[in-house]
Amino acid sequence: MTATRLAAGLGILGTLTLGLATDHNNVDAGRPLRFDDASSIAFGERAIEWGVTGNLGRGRNNSAVGALEFKYGFAKNQDLGIAWHPQYAGANQRFSAGELEFTHFRQIQREINSSPALAYRMKIGVPMERGESGVELGMRGILSTTLRQYDKIHFNLDATLATEPEPGERDLAWGLLVGYSNPLGAPTQFDKTLVAQFGFEQSRRAGEGWFSTVGVGLRQQVAEQAVFDFGLEADLWSGSSSRRRGVRITLGYSMGF
Amino acid sequence: MFYKPGPYNWSIRNVPQFAADMYGTGVGHGIAYEALVTGQADKLEGPIYDSIVKVLKNPPRLPIDEGAILPTFKRRYGELEKVFDWAHTLHFQTIGVLAHRGWTDAQKEAEIERIWQFYSEQPYAITGLPLNMEVLDGYSYSGAFRTKYPKVNGLFWGYHWLQTANYDMLYRTPVETHGPQYQVVGERYRETELFNTEREFMPMTGELSPRFAKRFPEIANSFDNLHMLHDNVNDILATNELTEVQKKQQIRIAIWRVLATTHQGETAGEGEANSLHDHRYPFGMPGMGWMKGATESEMYMSGMGWMNMEECGHCSIRLPSGDEWGATVSANGWTMMVRCMLCARDMASETIGKAIIRAATEDPKQTLVLISDELGNWTSNLPEIVFLEVKADHPECNDWSKVFTSRRAFDAYIAENPDYKDAQPIALSEWQTRNEGTPETYRRINRPSPYQRNGEVGP
Repeated sequence: MTATRLAAGLGILGTLTLGLATDHNNVDAGRPLRFDDASSIAFGERAIEWGVTGNLGRGRNNSAVGALEFKYGFAKNQDLGIAWHPQYAGANQRFSAGELEFTHFRQIQREINSSPALAYRMKIGVPMERGESGVELGMRGILSTTLRQYDKIHFNLDATLATEPEPGERDLAWGLLVGYSNPLGAPTQFDKTLVAQFGFEQSRRAGEGWFSTVGVGLRQQVAEQAVFDFGLEADLWSGSSSRRRGVRITLGYSMGF
Repeated sequence: MFYKPGPYNWSIRNVPQFAADMYGTGVGHGIAYEALVTGQADKLEGPIYDSIVKVLKNPPRLPIDEGAILPTFKRRYGELEKVFDWAHTLHFQTIGVLAHRGWTDAQKEAEIERIWQFYSEQPYAITGLPLNMEVLDGYSYSGAFRTKYPKVNGLFWGYHWLQTANYDMLYRTPVETHGPQYQVVGERYRETELFNTEREFMPMTGELSPRFAKRFPEIANSFDNLHMLHDNVNDILATNELTEVQKKQQIRIAIWRVLATTHQGETAGEGEANSLHDHRYPFGMPGMGWMKGATESEMYMSGMGWMNMEECGHCSIRLPSGDEWGATVSANGWTMMVRCMLCARDMASETIGKAIIRAATEDPKQTLVLISDELGNWTSNLPEIVFLEVKADHPECNDWSKVFTSRRAFDAYIAENPDYKDAQPIALSEWQTRNEGTPETYRRINRPSPYQRNGEVGP
C-alpha cells in the first residue's frame, strides 16, 4: 500500500463530518437560548422545531413570540431552514403574523484536536404583516470549542442589517453571545444538556447603547429523535432603563425524522 | 449522515430491554475509548471497568450520542468515529426493520437490501466482502488489548456478541417472539458473554446468526469487518510499540483496510490467499471471512471447536436449503444450524440452561420458535404444532423428523408420503421428553485450536 493510496482512500473522509441528529447535545438557536453550536443537523435529516418565548413584562406588557421551524440537511454539514415567528403583544392584545425567516447553516470545520469547530448561519427575515416592508439580513459566525472533557463554549458573533429600518431604528446592529453547554448524567444517563448564555447586544433603537443578557436552560432528550427544552433569559443591564425587558421563558420541542 | 427514513426506525424499542442493552454497548465503547486517549489507560481494568459495568447493568433508555461520550477521542480520531457511527447506524436500521410490526418477511428483506445499498454508497462504508481475519489480526500490535485489558476486551467482545447474536433472533421470526427470545439472549449477554474472558477470537456474525449471515452475507461481513476494526484500534491504542504519531497513522491504515472503497471491483470468493484482498469464505457461509487455520470446509469456532458450516451441527449430514431449511439451535452462547427437529431437540438437550429453537414448518410464512427453560420444558409460539418423528437414517432426517403448524398439515404430509402412513402426530409435551442421543453419523473434528499454543485441543 502506498501513502498515496491511503491518502486517496481516506482523503474524502477528512472533508466530511457526520452531522449530529436531533440530540440534546446539539444546540440550535432558540432551543431554548439564542446561541448556536457549530454543528448542522445531519445530512438527509429533516427536523421540526417549535416553541414559544413569553416575555413576562410588568402590568399588561406581556408578550410572546412563537417559533415553528422546518430544517433540512440538504448537504453534508449544511442545512436550510424556514421558520415562522408569530407574535402576541399584551399591551394592545394583538396577534401579528410576525416574520418568516429563511436560514442557511454551514459548518466550515469540525473540531479537530485543539482546533475549534467553525460555522456560520445566514438568515433573511421577511415581515408577514401587511404594510411592513424591507427585510432583515443576518449573519452569524460561530466558533465552538471544548473546555474540559464534555463541556463546550460557543461564541456567536451577530450582524443584523435592516434594509428599511423604521424611523428611530439603526440599520446595522451587532451582538455577541457566549454560550455554554454541558451534557449531564455521564456515564449512566447521558440524556440532558445544561445550557447557559451571556450576551452583549446593540439596541436596535438609534441612540440607545448596548445591553447584556444572561440565560440558562436545559435540553432533555425525550425520545430517540426528540428533545424538549426549557430556558430562562433576562436582561442583566442595559444602556437605557426604559428598554429593560422582563424575564423571558422559553419552552420548546424538536424532533428529527 | 442521517439514516434512511422509514417507519421501522427505532422499532428496537418493541423489545425495551434489548434496546437498552444495545444503547449500553455504545456507552461501553465510548467510555473505554475516551479513557484510552485521556491518559486513564491504567484505570481501564479497575475503576473504569467498574463504571462501564455499572452502565451496562443500568443501561440508558435512549440511544446515546457517542460523540458526547468520547469527545477527546472524536477530536483526535474523527474519521474513525464516522466509520464506527455509520456502521452502528446500519446495525440499528437493520434491527429496526426486523423488529418492525406490520410488514411481511418479504417486505423486510427487500428493505434491508435497500438499507445496505444506502449504507454502502457512502464513502465511510465498510466493505461487505469477506476479509481474511487471520491477516487482519496478524499485525505486530494484534492482541495487545486483550492481553493487557482482558476484562474490558471481554466487554467489547460481549457487545459484539449481542450485536451479532440478535439477528437470528429477529430474522424471519414473528415479532411477538422477540421479547420472549430476548429473555434468553439478554440473560446470556448480561450474565455470561460480557464477562467471558476465555473467548479465543471475537464473535462472528456467521457463527452467531448463521441464517441471517447466509441471507445477507454482505451485511454480516461488514459487521465482522467493523468489529475487527474495533479490535485493531484497541490493539493500536494499547500497544507500547508505537508513538502517538504512529498510532494515529496505524489507525488510518486500519480504517483504509476495511473501507469499501479499498476493495472496489473485487469479488467475494476470490482474491490472493492470505492477503488483505483475500475474499475467500468457508463453504456454505458466504457471510464470514477466512478464519485462522480454516480449510475450505472446516473452521474453528471459539466455544464449539471445529465445524463444517455446510453440515448439520448434530448429525454432520449436509444441511438442506430453500423453504425447508431445517432449524437453528441457540444455547450456551452459540447458534448452530441443524437439519431436523430431532437434531434440534437433542442438540439443545446436550447443553445446560435455556435454549431457543427456530425451525421451518410446512408453511414458509410461519417460523416456529421454541424456548426452553433450564429443565428442558419447551414453549411454542404456535399453539397447535404437532411433530412427526419416525426414526430412520439421518441422511433423510429432514423427511422423517418435522414439525407442522397443525394436525391438518400433518395429515396432508402423511397423505403425500405413504412411507409414514403409520406415524402418529406427536404433541409438544411428548416430543420434548424424547432424546435419541448422538447420531452415528456425527463426526467430531479433532484438531487443536488454532488460537492455543502447545497444541492444546479446543473445546
